[in-house]
Amino acid sequence: MEQRWHYLVEEYQSMLYRIAFSNMKNRADAEDAVQEAFLRYMKDEKPIQNKEHEKAWLIRTTIHICLDILKSGWYQRTVSWNESFVTAAQNIYLPYQVKDDRTLEAVLQLPVHYRNPIYLFYYEDYTIHEIASVLNEKEATIKTRLRRGREEVKKILTEGRP
Amino acid sequence: MGIQEVTRGGGVPEYPNTRKSEQTEGFQERLRQNMKYRRQESEEIAGTEEKTGKVKEKSGMGRIGASPGIRVNSTALTEALQTVEVKHMSYEESDNVQIAVTEGYTLKGKIQDKEAKVYVEAKYEDGRLEAYQVDTKKVPEKTQHIIERFALETIEESS
Repeated sequence: MEQRWHYLVEEYQSMLYRIAFSNMKNRADAEDAVQEAFLRYMKDEKPIQNKEHEKAWLIRTTIHICLDILKSGWYQRTVSWNESFVTAAQNIYLPYQVKDDRTLEAVLQLPVHYRNPIYLFYYEDYTIHEIASVLNEKEATIKTRLRRGREEVKKILTEGRP
Repeated sequence: MGIQEVTRGGGVPEYPNTRKSEQTEGFQERLRQNMKYRRQESEEIAGTEEKTGKVKEKSGMGRIGASPGIRVNSTALTEALQTVEVKHMSYEESDNVQIAVTEGYTLKGKIQDKEAKVYVEAKYEDGRLEAYQVDTKKVPEKTQHIIERFALETIEESS
């Protein structure tokens, strides 16, 4: 049990934290969401087919947990959104150098249905097929969201609004 | 109620008080026009290739061209640039990463062959993956080609 826990943390923690952070925009909530995802994974008794399936399950669950937290009345009453965007891009800890923080900040301001596909495609280097599998959508839907999300990012960068 | 009689010749039966047949005709006409334009377009492309003998690839949206920030119809292969097999390199393995969200592509670069050649992997918004090998010794100093510039930048950053 403990071995399994160590394996999960080592293998997926950083990636899941970044995905959670892109949704929550603050460290504490991102960490909470990842821990909750790990706990649900350990409790879940469904057989996992392979590593890709395991990874997809964890990403999907982390995103769902984040969205649940964001939707909760408690969260909406207590979090100041304007503060979090400024430093979010600097605190996401990507494993490579991001030369353009403004674009990442703009991506983090996108509505959730654009933000997750764009973040996973550009910043985590997922393929359209993988994103479709993780988000339970058709590949054509993901392509459309990538295209429209890109237009929204341009709007944020030029006009300063989503 | 009676059964609608259907002609065996494949024709669309006329229903009273509906505009279906009119709409179908309109749609068929538009389809015919589209097919005609597409045929003309592909004939024009084929004609250009035959005349110039220079076009290496047919047009495709989202290819990165010679001008920065401009999406053009074909990847301009240069003397320094060759297409190679995609290795599916990760960001962590790369020496340089460029994420161009507003342009719809990402680039990953890795130095090879005693710092003269750079392997560049490009991923486009429509899902295509392409890989190039850039011989930086052959790249003109003031190149405007995005992939060539990225390869030079990869060398510069590592030194």
